Amino acid sequence: MPVRREKAERLADEELMPLIGEKDPEAFGVFYDRHGGVAYSLAYRIVGEKAAAEDVTQEAFISIWRSGARFDRARGSVRSWMLSIVRNRAIDALRSRAGKAPKLTFDDEAILEQRPAEELTEEEAMRHETASEVRGALGTLPGEQSKVIELAYFGGFSHSEIARMLGVPLGTVKGRMRLGLEKIRGELAEGLA
Amino acid sequence: MNDENRDHERWSEDAAAYMLGALEPDETVALERHLEGCERCREQIRWLAPAVQALPEAVARVEPPGELRARLLAEVREDARRARAEAAAGGGERRRAPAWLRRLGGGSLGLRPIAGLAALALVVVALAGYEIGTEDGGSSGGEVTSTVVAGHPPGVTARVIREGDGATLHLADVRQVPGDRVLEAWVARGKKITPVRALFVPDRQGRASTTIADMRGVDTVMVTVEPKGGTRAPTSTPIVTVPIPQ
Repeated sequence: MPVRREKAERLADEELMPLIGEKDPEAFGVFYDRHGGVAYSLAYRIVGEKAAAEDVTQEAFISIWRSGARFDRARGSVRSWMLSIVRNRAIDALRSRAGKAPKLTFDDEAILEQRPAEELTEEEAMRHETASEVRGALGTLPGEQSKVIELAYFGGFSHSEIARMLGVPLGTVKGRMRLGLEKIRGELAEGLA
Repeated sequence: MNDENRDHERWSEDAAAYMLGALEPDETVALERHLEGCERCREQIRWLAPAVQALPEAVARVEPPGELRARLLAEVREDARRARAEAAAGGGERRRAPAWLRRLGGGSLGLRPIAGLAALALVVVALAGYEIGTEDGGSSGGEVTSTVVAGHPPGVTARVIREGDGATLHLADVRQVPGDRVLEAWVARGKKITPVRALFVPDRQGRASTTIADMRGVDTVMVTVEPKGGTRAPTSTPIVTVPIPQ
């Protein structure tokens, strides 16, 4: 018996997943409403086209609908799991499109959803804070570090491809990735302190 | 810096590239092997994970089109309706594998030879080790789900989930492919082999999936490793071959 929407809305993602595994459309609808925006944004950020981003998002959510029961909470949050599915599918789509280069800049100045702070749930507010911290961290990263992170994460390039692209040694690329991620991690840790 | 620290400096840099999905397949395997016995590097990965997980959160928001939500919900509602109808018809019992799958246990596959690929496909199909099962109760939206625990190399599993005229092919435990290679899916209708347009690659967990738009008349689905960009005809032995019931 499907749960009512109001009840599903009160459940945490981890509690929604078993319901989605039992083919509950209301639970799925709530899950999509929570995460569809970030999923589509990530897909669009990677593939750079709205139609392709729609396809990627649709495939990812249908895949979650069909495999929700296999979510393993030991591997992290449902949202991270979902975003990794979107990212993998978007990179697949990108790679299958010959000759299409990914976008190469962070939208540092772009603004997240414009909603009054009081409308945000605590969890959403934390995500916005995280987004803001990551943007802040990315903004302070030397361009060479943010570029390799971007090429790898949003472009799906391997470190050797990036090294060739930028004309720098492999070790340099790896070092920049490490320094960049450590800096972002440090900023997040400060935010949590 | 002593040797141990120097070694860890190297793994530490690999760890960051690994987290970003930027290592080459052989390096990924090497690092994962190292991680099995190195708590220090595992800790490094755990520590870095939130930084990578935060990257998508920083992406500028773009509102998804409303039609996308409508389409998705229509699809899952129809899927759920079929599942309920099937449960009502079958008394909710765990379904047995279809007859054609059960026959596989006897070694009679009833597959037609496929020109040019007959040897390759049949080598895989004829493996006595094929174990055909059902996933999560044996159905997804009332459609047959096949699991093939076999393939080349052994251990690759494939599920073909039928959705109307199309299907989604899910692979698991696929070895990483070199950077200049991709996975390409093929469908066979009798003697005719057709490539499935979308090329795909396994993720770090060895999972890969693609959609097949037209499954009408398809009796076998195969996946091969091909040069980047794909090919018009298979150039390697299928890593997995899935017979499709007619």
